[in-house]
Amino acid sequence: MKKRALRKDFYMEIRRSLGRFLSIFFIVAIGCAFFSGIRASEPDMRYSGDEYFDNKNMMDIQVISTMGLTDDDVSAVEDVDGIEYAEGGYSTDVLCADGANQIVVHVMSMLPTMNRAQLEDGRLPEKEDECALDVDYLAESDLEIGDTVIFSSGTDDDITDTLVTDTFTITGTVSSPNYISFQRGSTMIGNGSVNAFVYVPEESFALDVYTEIYAQVEGAADLTAFTDKYDDRVSEVLASVEAIKGERQDARYEEVTAEAEAAVSDARQQIADAETELEEGKAEAETELAEARQQLENAQAELDSGKSELETSKAQIETNRKQLTDSQAEVEQGTADLNANIDSLNARIDQLNAAKEQYNALAASGQADDVTMAALQALYEQIQSGEAAVAQAQAQINAAKARLSSAQEQINSGWQQLEAGQQQIADAEAEITSGEQELAKGWEEYYAGEAEAQAEIADGEQKIADAERELADAQEEIKNLERPEWYVYDRNNLPDYTSYGENADRMRAIGEVFPVIFFLVAALISLTTMTRMVEEQRTLIGTFKALGYEKHSIAGKYMGYALLATVTGSVAGILFGEKVFPYIIINAYGIMYQHMNELSIPYNVQYGFGAAAAALASTLIATFLACFRELKEQAAELMRPPTPKQGQRVLLERVPFIWKRLNFSWKASIRNLVRYKKRLFMTVFGIGGCMALMLVGFGLKDSIFAIVDIQYGEIQLYDGNVILNGDASEEEKSEVLAAVEADKDVEGAAEGLLTQITVGNGEEWHDIYLSVPKDAESFPEYTVLQDRVTNEEYFLDDEGAVLTEKMAKELDVEPGDTITVRDEDRGDISVKIGTVCENYMGHYLYMTPAFYEEAYGEKPEYNSIVYKTADRNTEEAERVGEAALKLPGALSVSYTTDLEEQVDNMLGALDLVIVVLIISAGMLAFVVLYNLNNIAITERKRELATLKVLGFYNNEVTMYVYRENIVLTMLGSVFGVLMGWVLHRFIIVTVEIESVMFGRNIDFSSFVFAFLLTVAFSCIVNGAMYFKLKKIDMVESLKSVE
Amino acid sequence: MNIGIRLGRILVSVPFLTYVSGEYGMEEFVKLQNITKIYKMGEVEIRAVDNISFSIQKGEFVVIVGPSGAGKTTVLNILGGMDTATGGALVVDGEDVTAYNARQLTGYRREDIGFVFQFYNLVPNLTALENVELALQICKDPLDAREVLKEVGLGSRLDNFPAQLSGGEQQRVSIARALAKNPKLLLCDEPTGALDYNTGKAILKLLQNMCRERGMTVIVITHNQAIAPMADRLIHIKNGQVSQMETNEHPVSIDEIEW
Repeated sequence: MKKRALRKDFYMEIRRSLGRFLSIFFIVAIGCAFFSGIRASEPDMRYSGDEYFDNKNMMDIQVISTMGLTDDDVSAVEDVDGIEYAEGGYSTDVLCADGANQIVVHVMSMLPTMNRAQLEDGRLPEKEDECALDVDYLAESDLEIGDTVIFSSGTDDDITDTLVTDTFTITGTVSSPNYISFQRGSTMIGNGSVNAFVYVPEESFALDVYTEIYAQVEGAADLTAFTDKYDDRVSEVLASVEAIKGERQDARYEEVTAEAEAAVSDARQQIADAETELEEGKAEAETELAEARQQLENAQAELDSGKSELETSKAQIETNRKQLTDSQAEVEQGTADLNANIDSLNARIDQLNAAKEQYNALAASGQADDVTMAALQALYEQIQSGEAAVAQAQAQINAAKARLSSAQEQINSGWQQLEAGQQQIADAEAEITSGEQELAKGWEEYYAGEAEAQAEIADGEQKIADAERELADAQEEIKNLERPEWYVYDRNNLPDYTSYGENADRMRAIGEVFPVIFFLVAALISLTTMTRMVEEQRTLIGTFKALGYEKHSIAGKYMGYALLATVTGSVAGILFGEKVFPYIIINAYGIMYQHMNELSIPYNVQYGFGAAAAALASTLIATFLACFRELKEQAAELMRPPTPKQGQRVLLERVPFIWKRLNFSWKASIRNLVRYKKRLFMTVFGIGGCMALMLVGFGLKDSIFAIVDIQYGEIQLYDGNVILNGDASEEEKSEVLAAVEADKDVEGAAEGLLTQITVGNGEEWHDIYLSVPKDAESFPEYTVLQDRVTNEEYFLDDEGAVLTEKMAKELDVEPGDTITVRDEDRGDISVKIGTVCENYMGHYLYMTPAFYEEAYGEKPEYNSIVYKTADRNTEEAERVGEAALKLPGALSVSYTTDLEEQVDNMLGALDLVIVVLIISAGMLAFVVLYNLNNIAITERKRELATLKVLGFYNNEVTMYVYRENIVLTMLGSVFGVLMGWVLHRFIIVTVEIESVMFGRNIDFSSFVFAFLLTVAFSCIVNGAMYFKLKKIDMVESLKSVE
Repeated sequence: MNIGIRLGRILVSVPFLTYVSGEYGMEEFVKLQNITKIYKMGEVEIRAVDNISFSIQKGEFVVIVGPSGAGKTTVLNILGGMDTATGGALVVDGEDVTAYNARQLTGYRREDIGFVFQFYNLVPNLTALENVELALQICKDPLDAREVLKEVGLGSRLDNFPAQLSGGEQQRVSIARALAKNPKLLLCDEPTGALDYNTGKAILKLLQNMCRERGMTVIVITHNQAIAPMADRLIHIKNGQVSQMETNEHPVSIDEIEW
């Protein structure tokens, strides 16, 4: 075998210098692992996300129309080139009571195949009154599976227009690929933001048109989501869908217009019918009324004639009565006369009787004398005549008696008749009275009827007028009917979807900076190590050369050495790093995207290859250059020691004032630092890198904590925010304010307008909150507007609005610029920005009521009450909020502490990243310091041995080396502070999610911690070095210079 | 190479040193008794120094000669406190150095020994003056660095870095560094080994002068037999043993020696 000795030397070299071999191996492995691992995290995040969405059969394109979508639309979308298939679905936003809070819920129908919900607990809804609730919401509310929820529309419309029922039973909890993180989107009802979503069966919707169409793009499932390829493919098809948009909109427009017009003409017909009916009714009513009046009048006339008849009768009766009375008097006179006659008769009879007795007495006396006889005769004759006269009188009396009694009888019957007549009259009078009453009633009825008829007519006329106006309006509307608008979206419209992609981008940004630094250090170190190795073996190289080996054979050994160490190191590092780092990072992000449970970590060969190639190139080129430099020289020259490096004066020596005061151990150290520039640079870089990484780690924590501390301690000073019910009356609203203000725990409360708006600069649009305090004077008590850097406090004025910093940056606006507020009713409104203020959570646009009025053209409708409690703790705030919610005027309450929780969530995700950073930093520090110290010591073995020979104690020798290390550590720390500061700023800006601005600060304590840790790492490495220094053999000093 | 020209100047600048001799008589200033050094290389034992005994008087100029591998350096290492003997005793100025622990040995090197290396071993980063001061910094009773450098003929090159000095000049700095410590014993390991002939001679001359003028005990280890006549005492070492030791009553000046 040719050159077997050389080969043997190669293997022996590795065995003999296993430490060096392994150190290159590990440095390259760590560098490659970190580099390829962090870099691979980005595509791995995309792969994992893609797998999740593929599993859920996530739609690629969503079509929403302002007028609903028909089955024709669905098939039209399906027919678009590039669309695999399409499904129609329903969704709506509703209000739902959860305890005292009114939350906004997005209700979605379960699609046949797409956007599959992930069942987390319980079962999926099957019946139309069942639903599956957002698992995240359920976790934080008091609701449980099996509970029923009641929905209301939150608008004037009836909920049952949209849903078949308003009461649903929760059958299970789900997560949705539509909502991968915390956000649930915005809405037009309630406080403007959706709190939760529910899935219901399709049958639960009572709509006859779909609200949206979901479509899958052909071939998109095979592409990876969040990549340009996928985006390009989808936007290509999206453009095709956009192309049919006009046609479909027209079709829908025609349909709706036709329907509306049919309805209008129906209505018109109805109105016409109603009018005729009204006319007819009117005529009829009039006739009826006239008849009634006639009847009434007739009755009156009759009544009147009855009355006059009655009067005549009454007069007759009076005459009759008089006659009767007269007759009676006559009869009585007759009777009296009669009685007188009878009396005289009786007297005559008595006389007669007396005469008779006398006669009888005379007759009885027997005296028949003439005288007597004559007397008797005379008597007799008297009696006879008397008797005749009496009989005559008797007859006369009897006749009179008969006459009288018949007269009496006549009178009596006359009275009787009279009485009967009177009775009749009384009856007639009663009749007349009742007749009059009836008549009055009749009139009353008549008038009432008349009024009624008139009212009805007026009403009918009004209605017709109304209907006509409505009809006119409707016609006008049809004329002005806005054409249905299709909105065609891709997945980017889903809340948090883009943020996932952005997080991957952020990961890439981090991956482009961090590991590069790490890798650079690793490459530099392996490069130095190899260079050093070649230099050390100068004599050996000379020997081989002298023996006649070709240059390439000699160089081959070192190249091979480097190649073997680097390739094995790279492979090991890549195999390890590309699995472990993405795993850690994706898991860390899993806290934000906790339902995206797919983990796809394939090997991304390109990053690994890149890292390995870079490692290989840097080491091999360094080795090659070192070998080339050595081999260029003559063999004899190589056998001789190299010319010693020039000692040189340093700049500091030109300042004798300082230089003279240094003892020369320091002088030597300082000169050494300058002499070994490569080492200086690399150590400073290594220690600086370590310090910087740790500073970034601690700084990230500080900056995120700053959100809570500054946002809720310095900027937003309120503890709760009551959103008022838009439907409530003014009294109910002011009742809430009064109740909150009256609460003993409340220190202050203020009314304001808080609503979500869309603002933009013409290119990009963002949702932010508009806040208009009713009382701009007291506003600083609840929200402090200040400059982040100078802490200068700003106040609201009528000159311009105040925008929060992050949004100002997103929109690239500065004080004095103008932004556009997109308003659905009023179109685009230009708003001048007066100042930009510090803010961390969310985005706000603040303005005074006067400025609002100027911009919007109307007074703000205050819809929220912020309050702060005396002790500013959660319990108080919640108690006040719950009390307020019991009032009808309050819709919902949000608490400051809830927002703090969100921050904690984010912090959780970053905690792990911070730990990874600190561990990496520590490893970097170890590797760099150990290696550089090692090189420093071997390089200066002779010098150190000489010092020992000169009688330096071990600690003095150690200090001789350490002095430099101390200086280097200090320099490195200073450099690290700078680098960390810059890097921290970069990372903070990069990892920020859109709705949050992190602090830009690093606490002083973090500088101290990072510094102490760096010093600690440095100490540990230097401690290990002590033993190495102790082992240096003094005999080294006697050897010739290599 | 313009070493020759520069050398002339140096030689001129060497001050004349008066000869002071023999004051310390016959007392044994340095005494080696049965010094043995065995290196174990795995199973094999190598006796680098085998039972060496000799004595040196104070103020003597001693030359130890021997071929390569004879054990000269080991003897020097033991004398210099850089190595410990496996057996035997070394007494320097009445002190038993072989009984010293590591720290005492360091102290011994620090206070009692001046070492001149074959390759000078200057700290490349320090100027000539600073290299001397480096040694002075650690010892109790040093001489003035500038004086010593002037004495070795480098009064004008105090602020030059080693790389700016010629080999001979570097060796002079090395000697100055050793001398300035005011040691009991000046050990020189092939001081001329890396120097050309003339420079080598000049260095030896300097060493001899130091010995004569300051009464310094100087031990020079060399394989160059030619300089033997300049020694007060000449020790031959061969195969780890003293093959021959002779005292020279009339050592010659180096100037008279040619090789």
